[in-house]
Amino acid sequence: MRTVRLRFGLLTAFWLAALIAAPLLGKHVIGLAAVLGPGSAEHVIFWHIRLPRVLLALAAGGALAASGLAFQTLFRNPLAEPYTLGVASGAALGAVAAIELGAGGATLLGLSSVGVSSFAGAALVSLLILGLAARRRFTTATLLLAGIAMSLTCSALILFLQYRADFTQSFRMVRWMMGGLAVVGYREVLWLAPWVVAGLAVLLSLRWDLNLLLTGEEVAASRGVDLSRVRWLVLLAASGMVGALVAVVGPIGFVGLIVPHILRGWLGHDHLLLLPACVLGGGAFLALCDLVGRTVIAPAELPVGVVTALLGGPFFLWLLLTRR
Amino acid sequence: MALLRASALEWWVEARRIVGPVDLVIEPGECLGVIGPNGAGKTSLLRLMAGLERPSAGTVELDGRELARWPAKARARRIAYVPQLRPVAVPLTVRELLLSARYPYLSARQVAPAASDFEAVGQAAAQVGITALLERPLRELSGGERQTAYIAAALAQGGDLLVFDEPTTHLDAGNRRRVASLLLELRRQASHTLVVATHDLRFAGRLCDRLLALRDGRVVECAAPAEVLQPAILERLFGAPFKLWREGGETLPVLDLERSVRP
Repeated sequence: MRTVRLRFGLLTAFWLAALIAAPLLGKHVIGLAAVLGPGSAEHVIFWHIRLPRVLLALAAGGALAASGLAFQTLFRNPLAEPYTLGVASGAALGAVAAIELGAGGATLLGLSSVGVSSFAGAALVSLLILGLAARRRFTTATLLLAGIAMSLTCSALILFLQYRADFTQSFRMVRWMMGGLAVVGYREVLWLAPWVVAGLAVLLSLRWDLNLLLTGEEVAASRGVDLSRVRWLVLLAASGMVGALVAVVGPIGFVGLIVPHILRGWLGHDHLLLLPACVLGGGAFLALCDLVGRTVIAPAELPVGVVTALLGGPFFLWLLLTRR
Repeated sequence: MALLRASALEWWVEARRIVGPVDLVIEPGECLGVIGPNGAGKTSLLRLMAGLERPSAGTVELDGRELARWPAKARARRIAYVPQLRPVAVPLTVRELLLSARYPYLSARQVAPAASDFEAVGQAAAQVGITALLERPLRELSGGERQTAYIAAALAQGGDLLVFDEPTTHLDAGNRRRVASLLLELRRQASHTLVVATHDLRFAGRLCDRLLALRDGRVVECAAPAEVLQPAILERLFGAPFKLWREGGETLPVLDLERSVRP
């Protein structure tokens, strides 16, 4: 218990370090004096470019890891991740369609038109999945397959649109699918915040039910867990968060798959602890990856999705090899 | 008053009737055995009686109130169900498994289980003799130890009706005996009402007050073990020849390996 508390403390420290240090670091290191004294260019870079970007990374990474954890528990499948049910493919299809149609710079509720369209795609896929999940005859395993079918269908449509697109559009589409956190100002953060807060609140309220699901659906049901309700609420919370964040940062991979695994290994199986830990760990990890992405080949930027996989992949392999 | 009452109970999967029609009354403190061939609908009947499936027709009542109308947690405070032992990867320790059985007593606002929950877990573990295993991960246990842990969890759940689906299947002789004596001890204490599906006819005869013989979802016979464990009934039930084996004061129906069944 004491080691668990210590590890959770370390995780909190890691998160705080990311929150404070990541906006100061970059191609130009900003001193604390410039941050507090208004008027300088550094002041503007810190408050209007770097800080919103780090906050977006913390929120998106946290939401991805928490959704991944909930899906892995719900489906009892270590390969489940926030995009398993096709939410990301739906969002990508929406984005690609908007690019194809030549979406301009119009905005709505803090989203670009590509963002609005991708959110609509994610919402459409989520509503279909939620509709399927509401049917009693649909087992959780069938739902997983239905999600994969949904993903494949969306991917095929994306390929079709890409095939029709010209070079510029095609490049924008590929670039969108790599994910990115390049934002100016707090519009995107403010758009994402309510989704993440609501989603996390729902997942946290289901912490006992999620713990019970670890014993298997049959046993959980016999202990009084209302399986269809829990399943529906988890899907609702996770797809709300993931749909909203994919619309602004694109389908950033890896965080939602790997971070929950690493934290389970460190902290055990209690979702009361794991859910906040995923918010901290996933957020700090994504902020760190973004920091790497915007510094290693500066002044150019590496897409954050490339960095998450390049940093996370080998690290996770190392964990698998060294863990008993 | 009857503890559990099934009336004209049926369970259909698409156009196929898996169970029913079944009429059945279980009195408090009774031990009912359910026997029958593979695919007879034993597990389905047990799940219906435990409130884990909704009847397609007819009703199951607990204390005179339809089971489907019980809130899930209230039902779980009365009925515990031990499914057939399967090699499921459950990443918990024995203590965590037992604590999970206290779910029906937890409120959504609670941060940790209460002292009474830990107490119930400790008592249940002591009752089946697995106190020493509490901190061990489930996946490190033998099949018999795991089944014992699941039985302890059912006891920790604190209900008065315990439903066991083939508690001794997949276990070797030593572990079968261990689990069987555990259930016999529960029976002796008369603290619970038990429903046990099993293929072990001798065990069923020793444990139960009544045996329900199920075939194709229907009740072939439901009476005292001595009446049900007769070669004629068992032959009809399993489609295999049986003979009576006498040893000491005990009469046992056993499979007759020499004779083929009468057409």
